[in-house]
This record gives sequence, C-alpha cells and structure tokens, in this order.
Amino acid sequence: MPRGLVREILLLLCLALLPALGQAVYFRDRISWRQPAKQDEITVSQARNLTGPVMWLDARPEEEFAAGHIPGAKLLNAEHWDNLLPQVLNAWTPDQKLIVYCSKQSCDASHEVARRLREEANLKNVFVLAGGWEAWQESAK
Amino acid sequence: MKIKSLELLVILSVLALADTCRAGLQWEQTQIELHPAPGAATAVGSFKYKNTGSNVIHFKSITTSCGCTTAARKKDDVAPGETGEITATFKVGASTGVQQKTVRVETDDAATPVTILALRAVIPQMLELRPSFVYWENSEPAKPKTIMVKAAKELRATSLKVSSSSNEFVTSVSSAGQNEFKIEVQPHDTSHPVSAVLTVQPDNGGKPVYATARVVNPTISAQ
Repeated sequence: MPRGLVREILLLLCLALLPALGQAVYFRDRISWRQPAKQDEITVSQARNLTGPVMWLDARPEEEFAAGHIPGAKLLNAEHWDNLLPQVLNAWTPDQKLIVYCSKQSCDASHEVARRLREEANLKNVFVLAGGWEAWQESAK
Repeated sequence: MKIKSLELLVILSVLALADTCRAGLQWEQTQIELHPAPGAATAVGSFKYKNTGSNVIHFKSITTSCGCTTAARKKDDVAPGETGEITATFKVGASTGVQQKTVRVETDDAATPVTILALRAVIPQMLELRPSFVYWENSEPAKPKTIMVKAAKELRATSLKVSSSSNEFVTSVSSAGQNEFKIEVQPHDTSHPVSAVLTVQPDNGGKPVYATARVVNPTISAQ
C-alpha cells in the first residue's frame, strides 16, 4: 500500500475523531455508560439457586408494588420506611437472605434500602437483584 | 487520490455539521443533590436548560416518579437560544435519609425526546439509631443490648423518652456524651418469640423515631 495513502487514511481518521471527541465531551451527561455490577448484586439465576430461606423486598413505590411484584415479596421503600420496616423485621429470621429489588438497573432505591438494612438494622446477607423487577419478569417468560 | 480524500473530508465535515445542528435542549445538569436543613418541609432543585438548536422545542409532558414530588415549568415552548428551568419540589414529609426522585421530561426534540432528571435529597435525621434493630435468639441469655442514639444539634434534646409496645421488654436511657444517648433493651426471657416496637422521642416533643426488638425463633417468625 502506498505510504501516501496510509498517511491520508490516518489523517482522515484523526479528522473524524475530532467531532467524535467533541460530542463525547459535550454530551457526556447524556451518554448512558453501563455501570459495572456492584458487589452486593446478584442475578436472577443466582437468586433462584440460593439455598435456605429468602425474603424478597420490593423497594419501589407502593402503587408499582400493588401492580405486580415477586411472589411473597414485602414492600420496603424509603418513603414509608418507619411504617414498613417493623413488618419486615418481624418476619425476618437470622438464617434468611434478603434480596432487595427495584424497577430498573439504574434505580438506586434498592441499593439504598439494602444499605440501610445493613447499616441501620445491622442485618447481614442483604443483596440487590441486578436488573430489578424487569429482569425477574424477563426470566419468568 | 487527492480528489477522493477531498470528497471524504467533505462528507466528514457535513456529518460533523449535521451532528451540531442536531443539538437541541441542553441541560446544565441532569442530576442535583440537595441537602435541606433539618425540619425543612421541602427540597427544591432547578434544572436549567438552553435550546442550542435551530428549532423551537415543545414540552410534551413532564412527569415525576412519585406523588411526593412535583415539577413545574414556566413555558411550554422554548425558542432557539432561549434558556429556562424546570423546578422540582420534593415534599419531605416523614422521609429521612437519601431520597432519590426522578422527573421525566418529554419533548418533540427528535434527537433526545426523553430526558430523565434526577433529584437526590439527603434528609438529615434528627435522631439516628444504631442499630435500629436488636434481637435475641431463643437460646440466647436475656442480657441487655444497646442502641446508640445520635441527636442532631439543632434538635437541642437533653433527654429521650423510650416506650415499648410490649411489656416483654424493659428499656433504660442514659446520656452518652453531647447529643448522644444510650438505650439499653432487655427481654424478660428468651424462651418464646416476641417482638416490640420501641418509640424513641426527644424530650422537647420532636418527631419520634422507631426501633424494633425481637426474640427470634430461627424457624418461626413472630406474627
């Protein structure tokens, strides 16, 4: 391949890179980079394969919980934390694993509920369902 | 060859220009974190935008993730070059800790028809319990367990009142330093499952917080 052609290809690629870089900087808050999985997350298949008792906790708003939830799940969201937490704690047993889920992978509510259960209620074995309610529904198809 | 590279350069330039023209509603930020003062009724955040495109942009709908949050706009249409803002108001109510609410903005901007704005409010807790849950397994000695309470200095609490929903537990409160208290909880016995909600209230009549105490049977949960 002639050297001149290679040089021109490289030049054009560099030119093409400039607007791409500009766009990446300008639209940086609009690009939805996929976040790496967090340490406390488990997938639906991992959750289904857990041994021992499991309590599912739904961190979504009450109306979304009412519209549909994982069978046996209990509602526990930040909005009604004081009212809902005692019901959860009264049903909890020390050998149970807790799996919190929300509505979307990007939803922080499930991580927040899990954090509070660990830090405030001092509970162990608290996990977050990766992909949330949608992942559960998808796996049920 | 030179003609070909010139053609390619023109194509690239046109593509880059087209990309720039596509720019529509630009948000100063799409995530806001708020730290309202203790006792504040609302947390308010303003999401500022500018129409950097060449077309008028029309807001089709603005919805919030829950009834506790409202979002208001001053205009329905944004002319090219015009700026504005959407004000999101979160009603604090009984919420504490980190509250994340979203506002979904739908416009007729073909490039970005939907934008999700996130409002994260960190509501200070007037009374912080660590832990908020104490339990005994049914084979465990009925020894007292401790809940530490940290009071916000704005609360100006000098003592706490603790009441249990069940007389199966006894509680006592002592000072543990400035704005800190120690609650000791003890069950009468651990031979049977029992649970109680402990209501912790500052002496100045501030908002109560709750803890849970339980004697747990490992296989049967208390009802």
